[in-house]
Amino acid sequence: MSKRPGYGLRGIEASLRLSLLSFVADPQWLIPSSIAPVIFALASFEMFRGSGPTLVLYAVLGASTMSMWGQTLYGSGWATGQDRFLGTLEPTLVAPTPYIYVVAGRVIWNVLTGLVGGVLVLGVVLWAYGQPLPLSNGLLFLGLFVALMGSLAAVGLLFTALFVYTRFSGFIQNVGEFSFYIISGAMFPVILLPFWVSPFSLAFPATWAVDALRYVGIPGYQGLSWGLTGDLLGTLGTSLAYLALALGVFRWVEHHLLEAGTASDY
Amino acid sequence: MLPSSSDVIEVTKLTRSFSSRKGFLFQEKVATDALRGVDLTVHSGELFGLLGPNGAGKTTLTKILSTLLLPTSGTARVLGRDVSREGAAIRPLIGLVLGGERGLYNRVSGRENLRYFADLYGLPSGSVTSRIREVLDLVGLTEAADRRVEEYSRGMKQKLHLARGLLHRPPLLFLDEPTIGLDPRSARELRKLVRTLSSEGVSIFLTTHYMFEAEELCHRIGILAHGQMVACDTPSGLQRLVGGEGTVELESREFDDVELSRLRSLPGVSRVLQEPLGTHLRVTLRVRPGQWDPDALRGALDPHPDLFVRERRTTLEDAYLDLVEQEVAA
Ligand SMILES: Nc1ncnc2c1ncn2[C@@H]1O[C@H](COP(=O)(O)OP(=O)(O)OP(=O)(O)O)[C@@H](O)[C@H]1O
Ligand SMILES: [Mg+2]
Repeated sequence: MSKRPGYGLRGIEASLRLSLLSFVADPQWLIPSSIAPVIFALASFEMFRGSGPTLVLYAVLGASTMSMWGQTLYGSGWATGQDRFLGTLEPTLVAPTPYIYVVAGRVIWNVLTGLVGGVLVLGVVLWAYGQPLPLSNGLLFLGLFVALMGSLAAVGLLFTALFVYTRFSGFIQNVGEFSFYIISGAMFPVILLPFWVSPFSLAFPATWAVDALRYVGIPGYQGLSWGLTGDLLGTLGTSLAYLALALGVFRWVEHHLLEAGTASDY
Repeated sequence: MLPSSSDVIEVTKLTRSFSSRKGFLFQEKVATDALRGVDLTVHSGELFGLLGPNGAGKTTLTKILSTLLLPTSGTARVLGRDVSREGAAIRPLIGLVLGGERGLYNRVSGRENLRYFADLYGLPSGSVTSRIREVLDLVGLTEAADRRVEEYSRGMKQKLHLARGLLHRPPLLFLDEPTIGLDPRSARELRKLVRTLSSEGVSIFLTTHYMFEAEELCHRIGILAHGQMVACDTPSGLQRLVGGEGTVELESREFDDVELSRLRSLPGVSRVLQEPLGTHLRVTLRVRPGQWDPDALRGALDPHPDLFVRERRTTLEDAYLDLVEQEVAA
């Protein structure tokens, strides 16, 4: 892969473009996929309503993260399933661009569409709350939000390798989605989770990114014990680890497909 | 860019087996040997045709050569590179057209499909639009280019497959049953295009079930049966191989064994085959023109009131059927 750097960005761009065009051709599925995060947000909003604006922000953040993650996992898995179903996996594999770049483009696209759910959540909460949320450092917050999206994409990439590997991956999707809601601290604070869960939580980049966002957005927030700097390093480190893992896994999965001859199964 | 060797495909002792599962719960593993020791060489600039019955292994061989499938054993080199280890170096240099109804993004237009693959093939950004226009024109899809692929007929999809295979001007093209689903005029145009590409120096490996297509287009033809190459020669070489360029057909209600053995021993007659034909029997002789004697032939037969005799050229289809049936008998 390193010998042909020219294919990387071009492949990601092509895949993003195709995702956009396919979406424009059939945009209505965005509605069902945005319902769950809005319901989650409203529920947690009701729970935290009396506790002041910062806790509302806490809930909004959690719900948007869930939305983006759900979208990443479903969207990317779905797109890869489509490649099998349409029979486009073979022509894509035979093109010189490594498949991981195609998947990366889709994952990025899906994180972006997940953002729609997040914005929707924010809108609903603002409307229900009746006033803008306090944000002490808007620019840093925004930067961290992008980092959160990047970290979700890195995990999404690794998960999608499983969809490339086998067509029987629906259960991975379910397990991946709901366990994430809990262990990432998107739903409940990580502190409240049983002790043995914490290694899993900390292995998830989004746990760190969400915590960092809360540090920035919520005055006096007490999250993971390493503070904002720890969160930033944690986000970066775990994201890079997922990326490296995904690169290796993809190489192996592609080899497996050519060996087993299962790229044309659907 | 091209290897110094003048062979674009070099295959030795190639095998491929698939393992699949049978049954429910207590699954049993079954192995299918799709290729059983194939040897093959295709020269640079050659138009090579692969024929063979359903399930013979044509698509399997095509996929191995185009880096979509790894061989189980043996070696295959394409443009001087090993398919198992140097797939990444082969991919930019080959075009693959698997054809059929699938393999395209249905929700976007034909042009957008091409645009996507042009990017995946790393075409120079500045020339993408014009090259897409060129290939669309080449396959005759210009008018439908901006319609969604889901609205395309089967033949239009086939043309789009071909256009995609040509985008990056590969020096070696693999076509798996390229004219399947095309109407006669489109099929003829496609064959013309294939000939043009070949005359421009593109090496082409194609599979087909249409004998006249193979005969009309190909410099050399390989016949694959049960995963083995049973013959590989020029079209006329194959006709000679099965015992001569002439064929005589005899039809009657009955021929007895003595007659058949008399026919077999006639000079200039190399093969005698028989097949039932409704209420009648047909005996087919492969003969070498100029060496057989029509009078001797009649003399070898008992009187048949209903005898029908016809002489014609041995076709590629005759040769094909002989070779494949020999393989089945063996
Ligand atoms: N993915 C697979 N898994 C299991 N068996 C397979 C697979 N692909 C092909 N086969 C088997 O390998 C053999 C050769 O198949 P192949 O598709 O290469 O034949 P073909 O010559 O292209 O036939 P056709 O003329 O029908 O296209 C068949 O017995 C087929 O069932
Ligand atoms: Mg086939």
